[in-house]
Amino acid sequence: MKKIFSLLLALAMTVSLCPAAFAEGVTLNVVTSYGGDDGNRANFEAAVKAYEESTGNKVNDGSATSNEEWKAKVLTDFETGSEPDVLFFFTNADAEPFVSAGKVVSIDEIRNEYPDYATNMKSSMMAVAADGVQYSVPSSGYWENMFVNKAVLADCGVEVPGPDYTWDQFLADCETIKEAGYTPIACSLFEVPHYWFEFLVMNNGTVENQLDVPASVDDEAGQKWVAALNDFKALYEAGYFPANTLTASDAETVELFNAGEAAFLIDGSWKVGYFTSNAENLDDFAIAYVPGKGERSASEAIGGISMGYFITRKAWDDETKREAAVEFVSQLTSDEVLSTFVTTEVTALVNGASPAGLNSLQQSAADANASITAISGAVQDTITGEAKADLFGNIQNVVTGKMTPEDAVASAITLN
Amino acid sequence: MSSMIYKKKSPLLVFLVPAFLFLFVYLYYPFFQNILNTVLKIGGLGRAAEGLNEPWYENYVRLFQDPNMRTALKNTLILTVCTVVFQVGIALILALLVDTIRVGAQFFRTVYFFPIVISATALGLMFNLIFLYKGGMVNQLLLSMGQLPYEVKPSGKVIVQWLDWKDQAHFLFTMLLPVMWQYVGFYFVILVTGINNISQDIFEAAALDGASGLKRTRYITLPLLRNVLCTCLVLAITGALKVFDLPWVMFGAGMPENMGWLTGTYMYDQTFNKMNVDYGSTIAVLIVVLGVVLSNIANRVFKPSEDI
Repeated sequence: MKKIFSLLLALAMTVSLCPAAFAEGVTLNVVTSYGGDDGNRANFEAAVKAYEESTGNKVNDGSATSNEEWKAKVLTDFETGSEPDVLFFFTNADAEPFVSAGKVVSIDEIRNEYPDYATNMKSSMMAVAADGVQYSVPSSGYWENMFVNKAVLADCGVEVPGPDYTWDQFLADCETIKEAGYTPIACSLFEVPHYWFEFLVMNNGTVENQLDVPASVDDEAGQKWVAALNDFKALYEAGYFPANTLTASDAETVELFNAGEAAFLIDGSWKVGYFTSNAENLDDFAIAYVPGKGERSASEAIGGISMGYFITRKAWDDETKREAAVEFVSQLTSDEVLSTFVTTEVTALVNGASPAGLNSLQQSAADANASITAISGAVQDTITGEAKADLFGNIQNVVTGKMTPEDAVASAITLN
Repeated sequence: MSSMIYKKKSPLLVFLVPAFLFLFVYLYYPFFQNILNTVLKIGGLGRAAEGLNEPWYENYVRLFQDPNMRTALKNTLILTVCTVVFQVGIALILALLVDTIRVGAQFFRTVYFFPIVISATALGLMFNLIFLYKGGMVNQLLLSMGQLPYEVKPSGKVIVQWLDWKDQAHFLFTMLLPVMWQYVGFYFVILVTGINNISQDIFEAAALDGASGLKRTRYITLPLLRNVLCTCLVLAITGALKVFDLPWVMFGAGMPENMGWLTGTYMYDQTFNKMNVDYGSTIAVLIVVLGVVLSNIANRVFKPSEDI
């Protein structure tokens, strides 16, 4: 009896140690930013499920919400040799460490073996790395603009901003909203000051020179950033941010806006899905325009295609995973699947996306996008993670007067 | 036969060497490598060093000049003191009280120990909700008791001035309370076990001599519990230096306004978020030095008595 029991135990251990030998398909480790409350989380899950059912493969989904901590973790995984098989990540300077280390496979190399790979994408819209090579297959693009709570604005007697909205009008509206007992701007300066930073930088420059990175505090770009930080300080001192903006999380301030306690929120196209799922009355919300100042018009915004699917060298060199990884990216970036992700965002699809019927907020975004006259990428995507973390971490020090804007910009420059 | 086992020491090596190798590879080698990292320029985890810092002791100088590091040290020392006073103190009081009851002692042991088995992340999220600014449990209680000022606008809208439990005035309390609460049960169980190990004969003799409950505690329980208390204090002090998870979940990177750093959270932020691996290593060395120094002081101050 003991012998049989021992044999069974040994057999069980052997089976548990060699799952691959008995598994039908392979298991892919996938990391994306479609985690947390991302508006496309449900679409991503559905696409993964369809992939698993059609191939018999399994997907270990390590997706999370995109923020600086997540980016740092992904880069660390590459550096410690524990990168995923497929990664959906930023295609800008953030990707340079693992691209330059040769840890992802180029589109051309993949096409040598799989000629149809990513042929449904416009080559001109696929991101090119610093070495001039394309590595990632783009998914949907993004836009950043101003969400407004129409119910709050109506209660305060403030009109929904149009494409000619000016900074002075905005300040006057904020004062009215504050007097009425609402919070004018839903924003956590502790966690996500970067949306406002982009527009405040553009307000002190132009859409054309938005991507200029300062080499010193005194150059044109440096002065632009300093002016942007001064605008932050002015808004904070006027009491237009939530009372707990220095201690609140992004989730808290977004909920403040969603609950009808705040009027304005700058966020991205991914937030449309959040309000579609969580708003009590979706018709209370609309996409408007971030007020313009100086040479910038309110109809000029931030946007583009900043993320894409990478296949890592580790997966490519693994004969058992190569085809599974290629098939995964092909399915996730097919015309049909991307059409479920896209509502109002730009895509690189040759045939374009065919999103199903738009809800009121998506229609509002489409209307706002129709009036956009110029668009630029985000300048934060062109600086190093260290510089970004330092700059955004210091915004709270600038608004409270513990640090001058000049010192904050200088500190970021030294880390870039 | 048995004497042969004790004389022949070589079998002991079979058991000791693997454990030593494991510790060497996963503890001592990384520890010494970490010391080396403090003088190197390393721009990210896993990245090769770009040579020596200039000067090589740059990070150690920065350690003394960095205002955030001073904040982290101050907060960690406050946490250490609070840990000794409140964690061990409350645990001792609870242990003495539970020892006096005849019914339900096991129930209270389980109840007080329970927070230990819950993950710090879950506890952090729970306390985030308890201390939430708008609509958090504590603020709702204060509002219902009329302790929060509010204003009624002409439109009829009520504006409540919620209390920000994470602002400069309250963050220390909000950070320390969950940490204290989580580990009281740990020391409670150790102390209750210590009290149970005291012979009942002594208490019975004291009772026959007419000693009251308080006197029995003062002259029998506490002196005989001294060694257990010493162990608890050393554990509490060294444990306080390593606190990381709960404050990180609740406060993240130095909230509020870089006033909420602890040595553990600051080291993590520098290493993993700021990619400043060499400076993070230097903070880690400081934590080890502090741990060794403080636990030595604690060992000397609370030296176990050999008479017990």
